[in-house]
Amino acid sequence: MRLIMHNMLTCNIKGVINKSPLRIEAEKVIKKEVDFNPDFLRHMLAKIEWKALVDGARSMGYTELPVHAPGIESDEPFLRKFHHALLELNLEEGSLVCQESGRKFPVNKGVPNMLLHEKEV
Amino acid sequence: MRDVKVKANSKSTEEEENEMSSSLSVKSTPEIEKKYVHRVYDAIAPHFSSTRFAKWPKVAAFLESLPSGSVVLDAGCGNGKYLGLNPSCFFIGCDISNPLIKICSDKGQEVLVADAVNLPYREEFGDAAISIAVLHHLSTENRRKSAIEELVRVVKPGGFVLITVWAAEQEDKSLLTKWTPLSPKYVEEWVGPGSPMNSPRVRNNPFFGLESIPETDVSAKDQKAGLESIPETEESTREPKATQDSLGEQKDKSSVEVLLEALKMNQQEYFVPWHLPYHRAEVSGASASALASGLAKKDDRKGTVVYNRYYHVFSEGELERLASGVGNAIIVDRFYDKSNWCIVLQKEALNQD
Repeated sequence: MRLIMHNMLTCNIKGVINKSPLRIEAEKVIKKEVDFNPDFLRHMLAKIEWKALVDGARSMGYTELPVHAPGIESDEPFLRKFHHALLELNLEEGSLVCQESGRKFPVNKGVPNMLLHEKEV
Repeated sequence: MRDVKVKANSKSTEEEENEMSSSLSVKSTPEIEKKYVHRVYDAIAPHFSSTRFAKWPKVAAFLESLPSGSVVLDAGCGNGKYLGLNPSCFFIGCDISNPLIKICSDKGQEVLVADAVNLPYREEFGDAAISIAVLHHLSTENRRKSAIEELVRVVKPGGFVLITVWAAEQEDKSLLTKWTPLSPKYVEEWVGPGSPMNSPRVRNNPFFGLESIPETDVSAKDQKAGLESIPETEESTREPKATQDSLGEQKDKSSVEVLLEALKMNQQEYFVPWHLPYHRAEVSGASASALASGLAKKDDRKGTVVYNRYYHVFSEGELERLASGVGNAIIVDRFYDKSNWCIVLQKEALNQD
C-alpha cells in the first residue's frame, strides 16, 4: 500500500463519523523507485489531504515533508519530496487504525483488507 | 484537516431506525453471494484469471479516452486485467476476493480487498471509475443500486463511470442449456444453511444431473474466440421475458425473501457453472472442503470440480433505470456489446454560480 491509496481510505464501520485518515502502524516498509511525473503530482496535490500524508509518511519513517503544502507555485525540490512520500513508500506489513473506533485493518504483503465484519456494517 | 460533516437530524427516530435497518441489510452480504460468488471466486481464482486476458475494446476505449494523470478506481477488479491499461493513468483496484487481489498485487498493482457495495474511500477522490462484470453478482436490486451510488460517490464532480453487466438477452443462444435457473423451491435449499448440492431434492432431480447440462471448456473456448473482444460472458440464457424489474419494497426483508420475490417477476436469476480442472482444484486446496460441504460437485467425465456462480442478468433498460435513480449523475452513453449491457454515467459538476 502506498500513501496515494492510504490518503483515500476510510473506516466504514457503522456509526463512525471520523472515518479518515487511518493511523498507520508500520511493521515493514520498503521503498520502490517510481518515475517522477510533475504534472501528475500537481494533479494529485488538489486531491490529497495534506496532514494525512505528512502523518502517514512519518509513520513509515519519512519526515522530510513540509507541515504545510506550498501555495500555487510548487517547486521541484518540494515535488521530489511529495513524489517520494506519495508513490515510493510501500507498507508491506502493518495495520491501518481507525482513530475513532480503534479497529485495525490489516495490511499483509502490501495489501490492505478493509472488509468489515457482519456486526460492523 | 478535513471538515467533519455532521448531518442535521431532522428525521423522526422511527424513520431513522427504518433507514438504518434497510441500509444495514443493503451493506450486509447475503448468503447466496457468500456461497455462490465469494467462495467460488476464491476457489477458482488462478484458473479464472488464466481465462481473463483479452481486453474488451469498449472498456479499453473508455480508459484510453481519459485525461492523462487520471486516478481510475476499479471496483471489482478481479485479476486486475484493466489496471494500468492506460499507462498515463493511476489505477487503484479493489475486489472482495483475496486470492484474486493477490494475483493483482503480484503484478505490482495498487490494490486492496474491499466490498463494492461499501467502498472504504472518501468521496470525490477518483477522476473516473469502472465496474466491469460485477453488478450481476449482487443478488438484490438495492445492493445493485448501492454499488452504482458508490461508484458515483467516489469520483469527482464531472467524473465518468463505466458499468458493464451480463445481459439477459444473450447473442449466442446455443449455450442456453448450460445455466441453471434459480427456482423458488430451490432457493431455500441452495441459499439457506446446509449442503445444497447434497439435499435429496437436488440429488434426485434429473435437471440438476450433470448429464443434462452439456458443457464446453470455458478457457479453451475463450482462447479460440480470438482476442477481438472477449467480454466476461461465456454462455447464454433462455429467452428473456419482457417484464419490468420494479424497485421492490425491500426494507426489513431477508435476502431469501427478496430473491423469492424477484423470481416471481421474471427469470433473471441463474447459476452459471465453472469447471475447475482437477489438477487446478488440487492446487487451490479449497475444493476439498467445497466438495465435502456440497458447494461443488465432481464431474469425472470432464475431470473437473464444478462450481456454480450466482448471476442476476440484466434485461434491456434495467441498468439505465437503476442508474437514473442515482440523483447526482446523468447517463451520457448506453450500449449493448457482446451480450453485455453497458452504461457511462457522469457525476454532476459543481454549480458554477
